[in-house]
Amino acid sequence: MAMMPKRVKFRKSQRGRIPAKATRGNTVAYGEYGIQALGCKWITARQIEAGRVAATHFLHREGRVYVRIFPHKPISAKPLETRMGKGKGEPAQWVARVREGTMLYEVGGVEEDVARQAMVRVASKMPVRCRFVIRRHGL
Amino acid sequence: MESTTLKAERRTDLGTLQSRRLRETGRLPGIIYGHGKDPEAFSVSAHDVAMELQHGARIVALDLGGASDQYLIKEIQYDHLDRYPIHIDLARIDMNERVQVKVAVELRGTPQGLHEGGILDSLMDSIEIECLASQIPATLHPSVAHLGVGESLLVKDIELPDGVTSISNPDDKVAMVHVLATKAAVEDAETEEDAGPAQPERIGRVAESEEDNKKND
Repeated sequence: MAMMPKRVKFRKSQRGRIPAKATRGNTVAYGEYGIQALGCKWITARQIEAGRVAATHFLHREGRVYVRIFPHKPISAKPLETRMGKGKGEPAQWVARVREGTMLYEVGGVEEDVARQAMVRVASKMPVRCRFVIRRHGL
Repeated sequence: MESTTLKAERRTDLGTLQSRRLRETGRLPGIIYGHGKDPEAFSVSAHDVAMELQHGARIVALDLGGASDQYLIKEIQYDHLDRYPIHIDLARIDMNERVQVKVAVELRGTPQGLHEGGILDSLMDSIEIECLASQIPATLHPSVAHLGVGESLLVKDIELPDGVTSISNPDDKVAMVHVLATKAAVEDAETEEDAGPAQPERIGRVAESEEDNKKND
């Protein structure tokens, strides 16, 4: 099942804008390798799940996949063939607001070439361009 | 570690805009502080700094206004893609004083536990040490080859060079070998998740939402 928050303060949210650059969550923190978004986009819970499944299937349950983003934002939609008005639609999906530089997924416990291939498969599920990154040790 | 002397220039125009313009010309803004003296803003070739960092330098020699001296790299800020340095902090040091620095830990060897179905989890990528400024190790290379499933490498297990002491918590785990969840357990967890509610619970609005629903009906 797609990810979504367990409890929320408000059921619906305004669209908002995504600030340009990630100032946190932009480094490899848990695994050894990761993929980083090179653009700003909403990433839906289904896309996040698709990426996770693609990585775990490719790795054959070796290593460990870390999902670094979470869909906190509800997106509402009106039912089909409904006239305009009558208020805001009901929440239809949940998305993560991803800034340029946000680390999307990380992988640990596998070799670099395996991690790279897994991340290529994950990147193909994402609606943004991504780049493969290796954890920096030290400064 | 040997390092070349970097040619630095004093910065008089400070601020975001000036720093941005400096970076566009291939220079890296930085600041020197410590030892109770006034801080000094400077700029240095970004390429030269990148080369020093690539070689694991912790101390850089800087030629600033004709006077050459050695400084400890305290912090480096990177851009939003974590790719290029955008600012460097240097601290004045005496080569005979003891300094506290973070040193990278790179694990060596393949743990025994990997052959038993375990996975190596690296929990810390650096530890804090205290040593003479002239003796800062570039990286520490503890072996994890002896680790079985469920065993961990602690900070106190890392062999340090002479004159180097660790100031991190000795019982902190640096790396651990543990068993991944079995396929059946993962499937169970996924089916439990499937049974969850379609919409999240509303914080502090349960009663009101029920009233709203009644009104809508």
